[in-house]
Amino acid sequence: MHRRDFLQLATVAGACAATPTDLPKYKVVSRFTPSPNPGMPGPFPGKAVRVHSEKSVDDANHRIDAPTVKEMLSRGMCSLTGAKKEQEAWAHFFDAKDVVGIKVNCSGAPKIFSAREVVGGIVDNLIAIGIPAGNIHLYERFPDQLTSVRYDRYLPAGVNIFAAEITRGSVASYDPNTYVETNFFGEEDTRSNMIRLVTERFTKIINVPNMKDHGAAGVTGCLKNIAYGSFSNVARSHNREKTNTLSFIGTLADVEPLRSRTVLQIMDGLRGVWHGGPFSENPDFRFYPKTIVFGTDPVAIDRLLLDVIENKRKAEGAISIWDRSMANIKPGVLDKRYGSFIREPGHIEFASKLGLGVYDINRIAVTGIEV
Amino acid sequence: MTLLLAALLPALAPGPADAEAVTLPVPKVEYRINEATASRSPWIDSNGWRLLRAPANRYYYDVPPANVAIAAAEAFAYAAKAEIHTDVSGAAIFNRMLEFLHGVPEPGELPILANIGVIDDGSPQTGELLNLLSRRNLLYRIVPAPDPHLDLNIRLGSQEYPKSEAANPSQLAQKIRAELTDEKRLLRVYGSEVVIARLVGNAGRVRIHLLNYANRPVTGLHVRVLGAYANWQVAAYDKPGLKLEDFTTADGATEFTVPEMSTYAVIDLSRAR
Repeated sequence: MHRRDFLQLATVAGACAATPTDLPKYKVVSRFTPSPNPGMPGPFPGKAVRVHSEKSVDDANHRIDAPTVKEMLSRGMCSLTGAKKEQEAWAHFFDAKDVVGIKVNCSGAPKIFSAREVVGGIVDNLIAIGIPAGNIHLYERFPDQLTSVRYDRYLPAGVNIFAAEITRGSVASYDPNTYVETNFFGEEDTRSNMIRLVTERFTKIINVPNMKDHGAAGVTGCLKNIAYGSFSNVARSHNREKTNTLSFIGTLADVEPLRSRTVLQIMDGLRGVWHGGPFSENPDFRFYPKTIVFGTDPVAIDRLLLDVIENKRKAEGAISIWDRSMANIKPGVLDKRYGSFIREPGHIEFASKLGLGVYDINRIAVTGIEV
Repeated sequence: MTLLLAALLPALAPGPADAEAVTLPVPKVEYRINEATASRSPWIDSNGWRLLRAPANRYYYDVPPANVAIAAAEAFAYAAKAEIHTDVSGAAIFNRMLEFLHGVPEPGELPILANIGVIDDGSPQTGELLNLLSRRNLLYRIVPAPDPHLDLNIRLGSQEYPKSEAANPSQLAQKIRAELTDEKRLLRVYGSEVVIARLVGNAGRVRIHLLNYANRPVTGLHVRVLGAYANWQVAAYDKPGLKLEDFTTADGATEFTVPEMSTYAVIDLSRAR
């Protein structure tokens, strides 16, 4: 069993908001060794392909146009990989022997979630390169959120749809030998374990987050979705106004085999949430970027997301995601002038210090495509 | 209907409780989901600390059917003399638990294993401290004087643990945990906030009692016990044939998963192959 003590996190904190003494001490336990070329940041560090289509979401009823999404997927994947044909682009990452996990995001369901049209398009492409439907698994942690989306109606027969916690809080579907241990606030259960499917079954993972504000993390994009969505017992990182998302998100995303196997990031920004996230209770806080972002570098994509959410919040008169004033903390109040926690958008820069990707906006190459 | 639990093997006994018996609260979990994050952990009403504090007493539970099984298991796990009062449907549940308890292997004389010694002055403050130590699976023994073999000895009112700190027993329990350190803890439970463990044993073997205070099964409970053990045996109420999973020994500790348990499980570990 390979164990690493993250005492070195103190040095990682350098440019981030927290002082070294604020950082929890993490013990990472995993029997997996990193791949020579881990999926994050993957073959395209500092690169993002942003595909926008005005017709992807109907302005009147907010329905998604499936043929447009299909084209967006095709153009985005070809641009990312330099492939001329769609199938060739997907074959850049996967072959017929792979068992693929698709990490969807359903925390805003039933209103905002990884769109069925996007997920369906991904699955169609995987099947087209020879991966059997039975070797494709959508996964999420909570069954109530996942089942409310009804992915089953949009996917070919045989594709697996898996929720880790049939009983909320149960760790039966998590790997007892792959975990991050830390004591944030005196909680008794100090371990967060990785989902067994990730450690025991998947050979590759596609991460499909949304574009959302997050009351604790600042934003929830690639890093938050893959990290908090692949481990148990993560809500313990928040208590009163304090949240440890600053260091916990990157620490979890960095654990093997999650880091090595997450080979593709497809951020579904067709619909988004600019306040009150990750949930979507108030329709006033939804917006429609009509964009899908492709890449392998979760940090670079999330760095772009910071600007998307912050600019939208500024336009709407909401407090900044960088605001740290206790005067603006009102837990449970869904008002754009307040937050429930002191947000930690610095988690993205923190993750970059762990080698998960490129944070410097001047070093991120963005290709824009209009469909 | 009244049921009598003998010291080890409980028995049915008609009639009301003995007047000398000490009445215990109903063992159960209270979920407080509408409260703030800091206190959203479920509150467990358990009596183990009372039973440890005064083992010679006779105890009396008055419980609805839903709490009969945990009451009987709790009394058995702490080797308490207890009467259980319930209705006819509760009696059927009691009988099922009784049948299970009959089948639990006789452990022989196994002393309490603990990290902490508590010098009990009999005060309500010390009682509440014992309660919180139990709830957090911080294993203790009640001792008449500091025991140098234990990692930590606590006497409320001492310089190290002034009575003023007892005003916030939760914070005091945290202080004790920090002083002990999690690494030294003889037993840890992961994956549930509603399971309380009791550990007894000697140099060659240990017995772990796991009590689930919730009225629904716990799945995937993971346990860590200090010490390298090669063999296991499990008896679980309502789960005949249950097998431990993910059994490993590393870094001087043994870990395993109890895939599913209802109210009560007894796990025996031994070193010899």
